[in-house]
Amino acid sequence: MNRTRALLKKIAWSAFTVLFVIILNFFLFRILPGDPARAGIRDPRLKKEAVEMLRVRFGLDKPVINCFESLNPIKVGSCAVNPLDTQFFIYTRNLFQGELGISYHTNRPVADILAERLWNTVLLIGAGQILSIIIGVVFGIFAAWKARTSVDYSAVIASLLVWSLPTFWLAILLLFWGSNNGLPLAGKSTPGSSSLPLIQQWVDIARHMLLPTLTYTIVYMGEYTLIMRSSLMDVLSEDYILTAKAKGLSTFQILKDHALKNAMLPLVTVIAINLGFTVAGAIQIEAVFSWPGLGGAIVEALGRRDFPVLQGAFLLIAVTVIFANLLADLTYSYLDPRVKVD
Amino acid sequence: MKHKVLYVLVLASLILAACGGAPANAPSVVHVGWAGSPDTLNPGLAILTEAYTIFELVYDSMYDLNLDGSFSLSLAESVERSEDGLVYTYKIKDGIKWHDGKPLTAEDIAFSYNLYKDTPEYPYLNGYYTPYFSSVEAVGNEVILTLTEAIPNIESQLVFLYILPKHIWENENKIEFENTAMIGSGPFKMAEYVQNEFVRLAANKEHFATPPKVAEVIFQTFENQDALVQAIKTGQMDMITEMPSTAVASLKTAENVEVVVGAPFAPGVSDIIFNQTEEENCPTPEEGGICTGHPALRDRNVRLAMSHATDKQKLIDVVLLGLGAPGLTLIPNGLGVWYNNSLKDYEFDVAKANQILDDAGYLDTDGDKIRELPDGSRPLTFRLNWPSDSITAPRMAELLSEMWGAIGISLEMQAVDPDALTSQCCPAFDFDIMLWGWASDPDPSALLYVYTSEAVPTGSSETGYSNPAYDDLYAKQQTELDFEARKTIVWEMQKIVHDDVVYIIPYYEQATQAYRTDRFTGWIANQAKVELSDTSSLVFIEPIK
Repeated sequence: MNRTRALLKKIAWSAFTVLFVIILNFFLFRILPGDPARAGIRDPRLKKEAVEMLRVRFGLDKPVINCFESLNPIKVGSCAVNPLDTQFFIYTRNLFQGELGISYHTNRPVADILAERLWNTVLLIGAGQILSIIIGVVFGIFAAWKARTSVDYSAVIASLLVWSLPTFWLAILLLFWGSNNGLPLAGKSTPGSSSLPLIQQWVDIARHMLLPTLTYTIVYMGEYTLIMRSSLMDVLSEDYILTAKAKGLSTFQILKDHALKNAMLPLVTVIAINLGFTVAGAIQIEAVFSWPGLGGAIVEALGRRDFPVLQGAFLLIAVTVIFANLLADLTYSYLDPRVKVD
Repeated sequence: MKHKVLYVLVLASLILAACGGAPANAPSVVHVGWAGSPDTLNPGLAILTEAYTIFELVYDSMYDLNLDGSFSLSLAESVERSEDGLVYTYKIKDGIKWHDGKPLTAEDIAFSYNLYKDTPEYPYLNGYYTPYFSSVEAVGNEVILTLTEAIPNIESQLVFLYILPKHIWENENKIEFENTAMIGSGPFKMAEYVQNEFVRLAANKEHFATPPKVAEVIFQTFENQDALVQAIKTGQMDMITEMPSTAVASLKTAENVEVVVGAPFAPGVSDIIFNQTEEENCPTPEEGGICTGHPALRDRNVRLAMSHATDKQKLIDVVLLGLGAPGLTLIPNGLGVWYNNSLKDYEFDVAKANQILDDAGYLDTDGDKIRELPDGSRPLTFRLNWPSDSITAPRMAELLSEMWGAIGISLEMQAVDPDALTSQCCPAFDFDIMLWGWASDPDPSALLYVYTSEAVPTGSSETGYSNPAYDDLYAKQQTELDFEARKTIVWEMQKIVHDDVVYIIPYYEQATQAYRTDRFTGWIANQAKVELSDTSSLVFIEPIK
């Protein structure tokens, strides 16, 4: 009963955080200097009336909120305007109706754009995360078990090295190496492949994914190795491990039944945090391999002050981070009953 | 251990590389690599040049713009202009078909022009190209276009007004319509489009004028210019539309790759902008005017001295690695006949520059190597800003700081987010000097407009320059029907703004593109302007057997 209440409390807090993000999102982008109706357009052919028309089309001719015409530059307006006719109200109302709006820049529904990009990002970063977690954990276990041997030292040095590699640099090296070996340089599929049988389509996507996933895996596995190693070494120094050894259990049994579960805790934290950022994507990797993911969409939208896309994307990221944290909290209490959900 | 894993991954990659079916590698598919993607396929709303590149290939319009800058009739077999220059009668060719097989008629053309004319939400096509339209009618196989005023440049006004199929567009909301199926009549038809990934176009072998010889053209988006260069080196792309200037040298020596350098198809220009807004022509606060420019920049002597102190050739050599020509005014040499090549630039001469400032009373009175205003109230320290997304501007800023330092002018340099820069720029005039640039029309009118007084409050003028004599000439060339007379006026206008040192134009950048020589032949690369992704090349190239 207590547990359920504590859980509900956590969920309520998460919901509150999301609400806060929704409000923050709206004002955050409107404080930025720049005018969406002119962003990215430098052309003497664009007449003043045309800019005005763009503003009307985007709904930017309406006051931001009561008392404020605009936030950058701050322009105080009438407080007596109908609140239903302000940008803020229209934004929140549409949001609660499940409407993310139409992108200023591409004239497409934001939901469509985000769905397309989110799927690409999850595909890439998901594969990279899973690979780097598996490889990192295995390396970490080896290093901890063989602590202070040459195996351990090489694992630590290698991990530190790959962890500190500049992502874009590694990506470019792999890009050059891969393209000389016939791997594609850009995009996530070969144009025209959509008419092929499904299995060939997947092979095609896998070919495009290979280099970015490899980059991601190399960069992140070092972090996981180090965390796994240090956490496992802590656990291995506990008395009950000594007892287990004294009982004559095999190495494998000690690791599997006694050490690993306890050593996973810090890793879960990092994985949860990284999962949250999965959605934002690895912007550098996406940029080098021209992977059409969410990170690139955000950068582009920011450059064009495409508020609906920015608001949608930030909301998506916030929800994912909050959800991942909630999940981490719950996993804790499962992995370590000493951690209470309260 | 790590090596083993890498080895497995390498092996996996080779297997995938070996068995991966790349269907588009068939011999007559042209792969074009570019650094962008269309913003929208709705021609009324599109802003990016990538969108226009696709429109050029998929749609037809009344005129074609040729690489030498001339226009030729496309959909019409003849045109008649009334005596007063107000009525144009186009006789439309027979037998032209839409990609879906329906006939293209005068009805479609009149519908399209009226659509652009009556939709104020279309930022360019309505705002800039149709304001002189009075009425458009289809009578039989003729389109009768009546103007409100006789204008000299009907071709450039019509060339970007793409003809849309009435039977599709009349049923759509003309603002929300995404137009992804893109039924047109041009030499290529839309086959598949994934935004920010690729555009796949199939040949329209039944095109009335220029049926392509290849089967498909694929435009692949690259977010990374190094990858773009690598793509043509390895043969993954057959042509690339742009490259960093640092890559030109290595591509020139690459096997089976030909680099093409020349004036860009869309005239472009880089500018050093001086805020010279006088108090009396500062836009009102309602219009957004702030006007904080340094008073010294309103003095022609200061701007002239800075011109003499600017070594344009060095800027070209360092910033563009030589791929540019010294600039004069906003009208670039790429505009052909409109470019006034008789103007003599201010020679690079630091002693002369110092002399001009000395004579005008700008002296260094406190011995800090920076000159002050004649009344001694303020040093000649200018803010210099540029858009943070520019690759060339930081290098140029550093060089300018050095060059102008030699004449006792110091700079406070800062890169600014492009949108923030727009709001500093115009019509706020909240800056001293900016580095930026323009891209424009085949007709000089758009760039000439930037210098007018009328453009000061609208945000198109970057300098706040105002000269009634210039404004009169601008109005005159707008309606001068005689080509030679108009050219004389346009040349005269360039002389005025050059004499007044409104800007320093450091250079006219050249376009650099490259194509593979081992897959297709027939690229049009010897014209005045370079644009390999134009119809002119893409309908002519054919696979090498």
